[in-house]
Amino acid sequence: MRLLVIIPAFNEQVALGVVLSELAALTPPAGIEISTLVVDDGSADRTAEVAHDGGARVLRLCRNLGIGGAVQSGLRLAYREGFDFAVQLDGDGQHPPSELVKLVTPALDAATAPDLIVGTRYRGKDNFRSTLLRRIGSWWLRTLLRVVTRVRVTDPTSGYRLYGPRALRLFDETYPYDFPEPESLAVARARGLTITEVPVQMRERQGGTSSIAGFSTVYYMFKVTIAVVLTYVRALGRKRKELDAAGS
Amino acid sequence: MQQVVENYWVFGAVCLVIALVLMRLLFRERITLQGSMSFLGFLTVLGLMAVFPNVTQRISKALGFTLMSNFFFCAAIAALAILHLRALVTLSRVHLRSIVLTQELAILQEKLDRVLEASRAEPRS
Repeated sequence: MRLLVIIPAFNEQVALGVVLSELAALTPPAGIEISTLVVDDGSADRTAEVAHDGGARVLRLCRNLGIGGAVQSGLRLAYREGFDFAVQLDGDGQHPPSELVKLVTPALDAATAPDLIVGTRYRGKDNFRSTLLRRIGSWWLRTLLRVVTRVRVTDPTSGYRLYGPRALRLFDETYPYDFPEPESLAVARARGLTITEVPVQMRERQGGTSSIAGFSTVYYMFKVTIAVVLTYVRALGRKRKELDAAGS
Repeated sequence: MQQVVENYWVFGAVCLVIALVLMRLLFRERITLQGSMSFLGFLTVLGLMAVFPNVTQRISKALGFTLMSNFFFCAAIAALAILHLRALVTLSRVHLRSIVLTQELAILQEKLDRVLEASRAEPRS
């Protein structure tokens, strides 16, 4: 089985090298062939060179698309090149590559494999704790997703996740650009994909700065609430149209 | 009571100036004719309404406006809102297409880089 590890990176020259060396040192599960792809999201620093020197394939986006556009680039490549799975992993070092096995293991059994596996930081013991504001935000998103889409995940903003073949096909066609992590869960749910989560260890970012902090967290929550509802309703509409077209 | 016909020729002149600026931008190829046709149409209608207030007054009366100036501004605001909405739709479409193009370009570039690297690595016979 072929697995593509997608690392979206924007100005991550400091942390990316460490992440890539940790990935290179990883022993993949039996029968899994791992390839690494760094999506350089229009960085102004040496991110692409660091990725190339670290032995990864590099997609250089000529302008900054944001996390959604960067991740979808990787998912598109994975789908077109016939990869069986793709794992998304942050380039800032928050997601230890050693935890990758925990995401891959449930996907190995084809009969029971979910389409989307989300790594959660809130179910494991002794895990890295994010700021209070972020935890409140995460609680709100959890509630929103449960009420609107009936998706039950404890860490809806986690970017450490595994995409199965059906998820790759879906996200090649459509992937949210604004707030991709929670929105993609809504899309996946509306289109009938199965979602599960596994506890993983996360750590503080090893370099770079977060784009969401302080008051912008509140603004982010407001926008993401609208986005999740809109995305879910839109995806439901598309599915209905597809079913109608198939029926006629 | 007889309604006094007001003159709006100053407004007509402003429309003309904006239309001239628009034409200049068109000549310099800063904007496309396709995209600016609706704006030109809007300016022409607004300019005509300002130059021929009698006709405008008749229309405004028929539509139930007490003051012609109210009709004038209502029509202008509604038309501008439609134009803005249209521009927003075009902008969003272009934005989404540019995302897809950026992704496709990056995927093709990566493929090309790998082919070139492989051909460089191959020993020449």
